[in-house]
Amino acid sequence: MAEIGHGGKEIVERILEPSEAKEKIKGLKQIPIRSQIANEVIDIAYGFFCPLEGFMSKADLDSVCKNMRLASGVVWSIPILFDMSESEISDYGIKAGDSVVLTYQDNPLALFEIEEIYDYDKKAICQAVYGTTEEKHPGCARTYAYKDKFIGGKITLVNRPKINPPFEPYFIPPLEMRKKFKEKGWVRVVAHQTRNVPHTGHEWLMKGAWLQTYGELSIEKPLVGVLVNAIIGEKRKGDYIDEAIILCQDELRKAGYFGDHNHMTSLTFWDMRYAGPKEAVFHAILRTNLGLTHHMYGRDHAGVGTYYGPYDAHRLLESIKDELNITPVYSMNWLYCPHCGEVTSEGLCNHRDEWQKFSGTVIRSIVMDGVKPPRLIFRPEVFDLVMECAEKYGFGSPFVTDEYLKNRTPVFSVPPLE
Amino acid sequence: MAEERYPINIWVNEERYEKLKEAGLAEMCEEMLAGLKVIRVYANDAQKDKILKVFPTAKFDSATTKSIELLPKDVKDKMFDLIVQKKSVDILDEFLSNY
Repeated sequence: MAEIGHGGKEIVERILEPSEAKEKIKGLKQIPIRSQIANEVIDIAYGFFCPLEGFMSKADLDSVCKNMRLASGVVWSIPILFDMSESEISDYGIKAGDSVVLTYQDNPLALFEIEEIYDYDKKAICQAVYGTTEEKHPGCARTYAYKDKFIGGKITLVNRPKINPPFEPYFIPPLEMRKKFKEKGWVRVVAHQTRNVPHTGHEWLMKGAWLQTYGELSIEKPLVGVLVNAIIGEKRKGDYIDEAIILCQDELRKAGYFGDHNHMTSLTFWDMRYAGPKEAVFHAILRTNLGLTHHMYGRDHAGVGTYYGPYDAHRLLESIKDELNITPVYSMNWLYCPHCGEVTSEGLCNHRDEWQKFSGTVIRSIVMDGVKPPRLIFRPEVFDLVMECAEKYGFGSPFVTDEYLKNRTPVFSVPPLE
Repeated sequence: MAEERYPINIWVNEERYEKLKEAGLAEMCEEMLAGLKVIRVYANDAQKDKILKVFPTAKFDSATTKSIELLPKDVKDKMFDLIVQKKSVDILDEFLSNY
């Protein structure tokens, strides 16, 4: 049976078998790409970005900027662009109608069928997508860093990436993910978007969303799951290292705070744009393709600084809800109340004067000060694993350092095409 | 209107707690988040801005706690030592005068 993704389109993996791939790329020009583009190539090829089959044409980009839709009318909120400078285009001698091989880590990754080479005003992209043109907005900075020309065209993977330890079990592309959900018997699955090591505020966000999602379903057997979908992409100094994020998220299941019957951890390759409401829509699309039925959204989802109001994302999602195949689950914050002696929802507890709010940033500060947080705030198994990851993967630190950026094992490698 | 004050949480580990006890300052700790000991130093707007400028890894948690977080441990160690020396949490002017 066909698996239908966002926009009502069937999810089809655009991946060639090695023997066919070798033939197809013979004699083609090779163009090296950076990590952001490699991530997006993989996402396109495996169907994470359905209905996209490649990098956007000018018509799609224009429509995304002006209408938050692809040229076909399907909702899409973040441009997916391949950039090159005019001199690179001239040096490689490429033009519309050509096919080239995109290489990463010096090995072939994908076939790129060039359909169009065009320019577009980057400031207009920023204003449309991020609601600002300020360079200090990380999404704008990423947009301004694009080279001057954009290239639209279809992508086909010629070489599957090798996912390196400890990430291998967590890369679960859409078609495989949907199979897993069926095997588990889950009829509803709610997405938890994260880039963090979980504290109990996150744990309760997931538990609350699981309860909200369960609704009227029968409780005779487990029918609802939480899927943690960690975003793995460009790292900034001071972030938790990727290994700690993914392993600690899974530790909540392994240590019994959840179980196999209701919790799974996975990753998606993506460089966050911090587009707030527009990124919230993008996350809805991504998780629809992964087969999820519900998506958690807290306050200021995927926002940065003070660019977006806390509920802007909720309002935008409401405005297009009939065009999305995923139900938003809006989550209130969880906090510690010393009067209750527990982590509780701000929508439930009325000891307002006693509330002690905590965030991922506060927990990072506590860990940086060399203090082990109490189990009500940060699970001891998670803390111990953070420290283990620091030794095993982080060159002594659970946070990204220059040494980690320089010497870490990449999340995936592209092997030679055999 | 009272000026906004933004806490810097100096989380008290065993080593810091021993130093406080030795100085007779153990009662200076508050208890937060289900049993964590913390000393809170408060910054005004100008001090907050200077801290964020001087220590680029520091972050103002504007969304949740309105506190200044992610100062490097050695910076917090220096603040802590000054608190013990002055027997007061009112140390930011003196501390920031070195930067």
